[in-house]
Amino acid sequence: MIFREVEDRDLIVKARKGSVDAYNVLVSRWEKRVFNYLLKLVGDREDALDLTQEVFLKAYQNLRKLEDVSRFTAWLFRIAHNEAYSLLRKVRPDGELPEQSDVRGNTPHLLPAELNLAVERALSALTADQREAVVLKVYQGLKFEEMADVLGCPVSTVKSRLYTALDNLKDVLAPIRRDARS
Amino acid sequence: MPCPEFDWKAYVLEELPAADAARAGEHALHCPACAEELERLRLTHAALVAVPDEEPPRRISFVSDKVFEPRWWQRFLASGPQLGFASAAMLSIALLVNAFTRPAAAPPVPAPAGVDEARVAALVNQRLDAELSRRLPAAVNAALQQSATHSDRQVKLALADFEKKLEFERRADLVAVEENFRLLRERLTRVYVASNTVGGE
Repeated sequence: MIFREVEDRDLIVKARKGSVDAYNVLVSRWEKRVFNYLLKLVGDREDALDLTQEVFLKAYQNLRKLEDVSRFTAWLFRIAHNEAYSLLRKVRPDGELPEQSDVRGNTPHLLPAELNLAVERALSALTADQREAVVLKVYQGLKFEEMADVLGCPVSTVKSRLYTALDNLKDVLAPIRRDARS
Repeated sequence: MPCPEFDWKAYVLEELPAADAARAGEHALHCPACAEELERLRLTHAALVAVPDEEPPRRISFVSDKVFEPRWWQRFLASGPQLGFASAAMLSIALLVNAFTRPAAAPPVPAPAGVDEARVAALVNQRLDAELSRRLPAAVNAALQQSATHSDRQVKLALADFEKKLEFERRADLVAVEENFRLLRERLTRVYVASNTVGGE
């Protein structure tokens, strides 16, 4: 993990000096994570892909403004967060995120179908803030401090959103998962 | 009800310090309420992470276009060490030029009788050294600061110009794409009409 961070740092330094090849390697490492984060926020593959492209273009243009290279992850997801909410404000002025039921329509299920569906439904029942907190923590593996950077709020708010979301998810998912396992 | 002093969500999300996590894990072995809470959170987490990530439909890559690449002077200005070296080199050249083009010194005036010439020369050298060491760092700093300010301004101007150009080209590309789509739609419509006409005969 440390080795990987050093490599990312190298790529960022090279990209800052104008190496498009180095930046492309960086993009290839992060595009899947950024795409999946945006997909869970906007709920549409094409929108998520367009936004992903926009995120990496903006990141390239502003790479020199990144003061602390070790905070690249939070910085990148902050750009993605802003892009997603900018789109959502245009298409849904009330700010509420879309239903997630059609997101994984064509994906082969690795789990029993009802469990997969239950996860989607449970996530879509959360508020937008709670869902984003779960996505950043559970799916992207960010630390509380990094999440606070991305969301632009204190760590206490991040924890409050995440814990409330987990309480809600637990009531729905734990019994189903237990049944599926037994 | 689980014991309130243990943060089981942080435990499952691996946000607890190692010592606290070890203490919590030990506690869960002997407390049925906490064990139940921990089990439910683990099941929830497992259900969430079991949903796999999707592959992006298309790969994203940036073309190695000259437009994206900074010009030689932008690279030069962006490099602190190179800029510092250049400033130092320019200062050295200026000192050398000054030394060689300075008008010849007036012939030495003979010292009055009774004055120790060697002592006077040593005093003069000492004062010169002191003056030089007092003024030189300030002059070098001033030159470097001026150079850095100037280069910062140039970089900002160049970046603004570059971003404007990029945005313009992006919009031009979008217009071209839109135009191509329109043409394609027209052609498809013509083909469709023609096929209907021919097919009907």
